[in-house]
Amino acid sequence: MNLLQPERLERLSREYVLGTLTGRARRRFERLLAEAPLATRVVVRWQQRFDVLAAGVPPVQPRDQVWQGLQQRLFASGEKPAAPSFWARVQALLAPRVLGGALAGVLAATVVLKLQPQWLELESRSEALPQSYVGLLINDAGQPALLASSRRHGRSITVKLLQPLTVPDGQVARLWALPREGAPFLVGLVPARGSATIALTDSAEKLFFTVGRLALTIEPVTAGADAPSTPFVASGHCVKLW
Amino acid sequence: MTPSDDLSALMARVAMQDRAAFERVYHATCAHLLGVALRILNNRERAEEVLQEAFVNVWHGARGYNPSVATPMTWLINVVRNKAIDTLRSGSSERRSTGALEDEAFEVRADSALEPQQMLDDSLQRAHIDACMQTLNAQQRQALALAYYRGLVHTEIAAQMGAPLGTAKAWVRRGLDKLKECLGARGVTA
Repeated sequence: MNLLQPERLERLSREYVLGTLTGRARRRFERLLAEAPLATRVVVRWQQRFDVLAAGVPPVQPRDQVWQGLQQRLFASGEKPAAPSFWARVQALLAPRVLGGALAGVLAATVVLKLQPQWLELESRSEALPQSYVGLLINDAGQPALLASSRRHGRSITVKLLQPLTVPDGQVARLWALPREGAPFLVGLVPARGSATIALTDSAEKLFFTVGRLALTIEPVTAGADAPSTPFVASGHCVKLW
Repeated sequence: MTPSDDLSALMARVAMQDRAAFERVYHATCAHLLGVALRILNNRERAEEVLQEAFVNVWHGARGYNPSVATPMTWLINVVRNKAIDTLRSGSSERRSTGALEDEAFEVRADSALEPQQMLDDSLQRAHIDACMQTLNAQQRQALALAYYRGLVHTEIAAQMGAPLGTAKAWVRRGLDKLKECLGARGVTA
């Protein structure tokens, strides 16, 4: 079925924005939106029409704790208590090997972790590393630039910059997923340095199941989010850690 | 500079992880956005959770925001509406699996059935398309209002209005056709 056929696209778009498109049809249409700029344009026109209806909704001031909770979630250092120590250890393991030159790639890290679990102090735990999607992006100089990890059924992805990025004013660093077949889609924005947790629109399993590689661009903040507009500054395999 | 230009400039700074800009965007829009979520969820606590979740997405730039495609408010309203609708649907499925709560849920909806129509009327007057939309009959207007403001699906609209499913679908469809026509006549996204 060609969802981009004009009349069908118009009908699906307005039902999607209104909310009467449900279940699997809604998810299928969301995947189409990630791939087809034409569909996005039709959807935005309907969003603008419905803005008119939103204007009559009486405003309701949120309680102060909503903003306080938001700050806590986004900016408190303990946002993901387990993640930093995990990444610190993975990075410590990876650094000598990858910088040493030969085994650039997260597969090496996976093997190392599976063979030597005690290096991560996992022996005392009853379970192995959580099932996750993991990516290690290498920059043009062959250096590891970014680690990305998302629990298989999680709805966020944690990124850690292994090299600071140079992001000029007015530009942003964007992380892209490259499916084995089909167009790249935007995962989210990454900071120039440090770590961040990016909310996903769906579970990692659904988003990354067919993704073979991840890549990073630095592009104008005004560039469209439907496709990369500049060459990749780093890229690497996206693998399943289970 | 219009409020929308102002918000666009702030959003560009948020994309570069400017916390001060993020706080200004939040405080400029949170009351309107909570209003939208609250009408759909009819539960303040869940609506505030949706609002907070939406702003987590805003900070991380999930799915990207392109100012050349949509105004910040259009984008924000739809982030919130989509999350509210997803939350509503997941809650609905829980209710369906626990039959004892189902009657209570419908009762709340029936009591507040008039409110969506009032919001629709107010919105149409603000946009100066109320006269144009008057050619819709009361049922068509109510069906459109229940879908937009309450996030109801066709089967729920049919149940609430005591109409066959096909009829409810036709009412919503007619309401949407008319909305597009009336806005087009005023030069809004023709």
